[in-house]
Amino acid sequence: MAAYAAPIRRLCAAYAESPADREDLFQDIFLAVWRALPGFRRQASVRTWLYRIAHNVALTRRTRNRHRQSRESPLDQETAAATDMDFRRLALKRAIAGMAPGDRTLTVLWLEGLSAAEIEDVTGIKAATVAVRLSRIRKRLHPIEVSR
Amino acid sequence: MSDDARWLSAVWMSDDPAKRADVTSAIDAVLERDRAEADREHRTRIGSLAALALLLPVVLWAAAHGVTPLVRGAYALMAVGVAVIGTAEWLYLEWSKQALPGPVDARSQLQKTAFMLTRQARLLSTSAIWASPAFIGAALIGGWLFRERTHAEAIAVWALTAAGWLAAGLGTMAVGARLTRRREQLEQLLAELE
Repeated sequence: MAAYAAPIRRLCAAYAESPADREDLFQDIFLAVWRALPGFRRQASVRTWLYRIAHNVALTRRTRNRHRQSRESPLDQETAAATDMDFRRLALKRAIAGMAPGDRTLTVLWLEGLSAAEIEDVTGIKAATVAVRLSRIRKRLHPIEVSR
Repeated sequence: MSDDARWLSAVWMSDDPAKRADVTSAIDAVLERDRAEADREHRTRIGSLAALALLLPVVLWAAAHGVTPLVRGAYALMAVGVAVIGTAEWLYLEWSKQALPGPVDARSQLQKTAFMLTRQARLLSTSAIWASPAFIGAALIGGWLFRERTHAEAIAVWALTAAGWLAAGLGTMAVGARLTRRREQLEQLLAELE
C-alpha cells in the first residue's frame, strides 16, 4: 500500500478540490482496495488493478454530495509555497483540473506512465481511442511542455 | 513516450505527497472506518431482523385468531406488507453493496453503478404500492373499529395510517429522485468517458 501511496495521492489531487476532499478520497480509495483485496488474483497486475479501483472510486464519488466545504482553493494554497519547479507542476495541475473527467482520467494514467493498452485495461476505452485522445490532450498541454 | 512527454511525466511525478507516517495513519483511519461501517450495517440488519421477528409472529397470530374475518384478513394483509418491506430493505442493501466501486474497468463500473441505481430508484419510487398491504390492513382495522367500537378510534387509526403511508411514500420517492439524479450524472460521465 505504501508503495502506491504517492500515485494515489497525485490522483486524489487531480480529482478532489480541497485538501479535506483529497483526504476523504484517499481514504475512500484505500477502503475500496481493502474490501476488494480478497478477490485479487496474483495473475493480474497490481498497478492496473489498483488504478481501476482508484479511478472508479474517484469517478463515482463525483456524483455523491459528500464534498466538504472549503473556501480556499487548493491550487491557491500551493501557489503560496511554490518554487520555480513547483510552478510548472502547478500549471500542469491547473490544466488537468480544467479538463473533463474522462480526459482527466486518461491524462493522469498517461502521466503515471501507463501504456495505451494498460489504460484500456483500467478504463475500458479502446487503446486506439486512448491514443487519439491523448494526442489531442497533449496539444492542450503543449504550452506547458514548451515552457521548460 | 517522447522527450517532451517524459518531461511532463517527470514534472507530474515530482509531486510526492505521501510520507510513510502519513500512509500509516491513513491505513489506521481506513481500518477504523471499515470496522465502523461494518458495525453500522450489522446493527441495521440486526435491528430489521429483530423488528420483523417481533412484528411478524404478532400479526400472524392476530391473522389466525382475529375476532372476525375482516380483522383476520386485515392482519394477514399486514403480515404480507411487513414481509414485503423486509425483503425490499434487504434488496436495497444488497444493490447498494453491488454498486460499490471495485476492480473492474471504469466503463463497466459506471454502467454497473448506473444500473444498480436505476433498480434502487425504481424500488423506492414504487414503495407506496408494494408497501400498501401493510397500510390497507391497518385501514381495514380502522373499518372494523368504525363498525364495532367508536368513530374516534377509527378516525385516529385511519389518520395515522394515511400519515404513515404518505410520509413513507413521499420520503422514499425523494430518495429515489436523488438516486435518479446520481444515475443521470453517472450516465453523463460515461458518455463523456467514451
